[in-house]
Amino acid sequence: MAVTNGRPGSASPNGRSRTERLLTFLGSVRFAIFLLSFIAATSILGTLIKQQASSEEYVSLFSEQGYAVIHIFGLDDVFHSWWFLLALVLFSLNLILCTVNRFTLFLKNRSSEALPKESYLSTLALTFFCQGTRLEEVQRLCRGYRAVLTSQQGVILEKGRFAQYGVFIIHTSILLILLGGLLGLMLGFKGSLNLPVGESADTITLRGGGEAARRSLDFSIRCVDFRVSFYENGQPKEFLSSLEVVENKRVVLKKDVRVNDPLTHRGISFYQATYGTDAAFEFVIGGKSVLLNEGGTFRQGSLALMVVRYAPSVHDFGPGVQVAYLDNGEPKAIWFLRDVPRLREQTIAGIPVKLERLTQQQYTGLEVTSDPGLWFVWCGFFLLMAGLYINFGFYHRRVYLIPRDNGVMVAGTSRKNREGFKREFERLKERIDA
Amino acid sequence: MLNDKILGLTTLLDVLLVLLFLIFLVTKKEAVLKAAWLLLYATFAIHTAGILVRWRESYLLGTPHAPLSNLYESLIFYAWCLLLIQIVMRKVLPPLLLLCLCAAALFFMGFSSLWPSTIQPLIPALQSNWLHIHVLTCFLAYAAFAISFFCGIFYFLHLPFMPSKDALEEINYRSVMVGFPMLSAGILTGAVWASYAWGSYWSWDPKESWSLITWIVYAIFLHARYARGWTGRRVAFLSIIGFASVIFTYFGVNFVLSGLHSYAS
Ligand code: HEM
Repeated sequence: MAVTNGRPGSASPNGRSRTERLLTFLGSVRFAIFLLSFIAATSILGTLIKQQASSEEYVSLFSEQGYAVIHIFGLDDVFHSWWFLLALVLFSLNLILCTVNRFTLFLKNRSSEALPKESYLSTLALTFFCQGTRLEEVQRLCRGYRAVLTSQQGVILEKGRFAQYGVFIIHTSILLILLGGLLGLMLGFKGSLNLPVGESADTITLRGGGEAARRSLDFSIRCVDFRVSFYENGQPKEFLSSLEVVENKRVVLKKDVRVNDPLTHRGISFYQATYGTDAAFEFVIGGKSVLLNEGGTFRQGSLALMVVRYAPSVHDFGPGVQVAYLDNGEPKAIWFLRDVPRLREQTIAGIPVKLERLTQQQYTGLEVTSDPGLWFVWCGFFLLMAGLYINFGFYHRRVYLIPRDNGVMVAGTSRKNREGFKREFERLKERIDA
Repeated sequence: MLNDKILGLTTLLDVLLVLLFLIFLVTKKEAVLKAAWLLLYATFAIHTAGILVRWRESYLLGTPHAPLSNLYESLIFYAWCLLLIQIVMRKVLPPLLLLCLCAAALFFMGFSSLWPSTIQPLIPALQSNWLHIHVLTCFLAYAAFAISFFCGIFYFLHLPFMPSKDALEEINYRSVMVGFPMLSAGILTGAVWASYAWGSYWSWDPKESWSLITWIVYAIFLHARYARGWTGRRVAFLSIIGFASVIFTYFGVNFVLSGLHSYAS
């Protein structure tokens, strides 16, 4: 028994406990329709209200009070809010309960086949009496039908039985997709990597985690080359990066990654997302040429410097690069100006540093993702399509044959595609009559 | 270009189709219905030719791609789907619905003429074979849901030459039987494609969210009918809501909201 709370009076008048009634409700189609409506309605909000924008943007769009309401209910990020997740969890629970209930019922009905009562058969719309034939004769003419039960009192024939599994396959596939999504959410990650041509990296920037969210990979990835081609009107036609995966100093995988054609290694995929150019600064430090980006650092002996920022024009003196360095442990910053000879070459910690050139460095923008739930989702997709095909492409129907003194009574029933079955039944009747 | 001329001819034939079905509804002459059907097949063939010629002409222009990539082309394609669905469901559809669907095809052909018809280059993200199957399945679903929509509308009207309410419900259900799996296939192929193109099969982009909303409405339709025993007005109402959601998914998202799927200009 499912009585768990033990309080007197917890059993309802019709003999079912509260828990049982709750379970029935949680597994009901009524609840399913409520949850689906809720998910649809909140999704509408999630598309009408701008998502994941900054608080300033909301205030300017909806005023202070409006933003307060939006923030309290999590409407600025509907699809990642706790209540949206809760709705999905409840929906999964609902679907599990419903499927389990229905499937056990289905199996029970299967294991206890019995000829329906005469009174039931006479209510069926599709019946006819076939004078002067024997049951075996009629059964032979029911082509494609399989006997479920054969007894003295009559025979049950059926066709398209497997169509009944369609609904179970569909519902299971939905659960599989939701499970895959959950796995991806918990165990996967999404990030990006801007990789200049010729360079390699073994860490990526995670999405949504702010500046500091980085993740290191078990291997490094190198951009050997990047190419982009254009249409006549200047729109990009194709862009691709030649990537190499390097493990223990050995190249283990090479691939030209294009839009729509990613590289995958150890469950981590690299997608061609964007490209661009970064300003790059070629310095000559102590006679050696060094290429640095904004934020790039250089260290040699007592010299440690970092490129802070680039400015296209510094006080009308042309382009310049601000460099920070440590002077006896004290941070200092100076500008290198390309067009002012005196400021182009300066000495830091006794070492001559010269801004040789300002160049543009092309980089490829890669999306990096890992999703351990992906295969669940793909299997779910496949099963969903298979289930839909089975459910809507076929249907289950039954024919009852009841022997009488002077002939056979034939009755047919189907729960779906009644029109189609009616035609089939009429053809059967013609065949038997002939 | 040649494709414009052929598609222009198709629009004229759509007008003729609407007229023929109207004449049939008034006169009830079988010969007219036969003629209308023949014309429907012919129009479909010519429309198909128009799309194929446009496809071919995109090669000549050095921007080869199936004509499914901007609003103009998608409207033309939707009109094509509205013809195709009539041929697919010919056994089920009464003349009144054929009339409505041809009128809808005509409407979308006319609407397409408001947009620039130049063949544009295809951005890299759209260069994928998934594009074809994704757009085909989505638009066939939208066409099937148009049938459901008309059944829903007629359920509340009392016009001459209308099918019975029971017949309308049956046709409505059958159109969702075609549309729902197609929409599912459309959403799933879209997800697979997004996974290849962007590294994420679902990102709650407005178009994705709205296709999910549409899908949910029709899932509710199927369950309300089957498991809750709803029939009649409520189901008719659901099919109207469902199609409103289709239209918003198709146009609203592009014109009202913005996202990855906008037919960028
Ligand atoms: C979005 C998720 C769901 C999808 C895509 C889905 C899909 C379907 C489909 C296609 C059918 C067949 C309808 C027909 O043949 O006319 C069906 C039937 C059904 N579904 Fe669902 N379903 C979903 C969720 C649920 C949930 C959560 C429940 C449980 C409460 C449920 C309960 C049922 C029942 C009871 C039937 C009728 C089965 C029968 O005909 O014997 N479904 N579903």
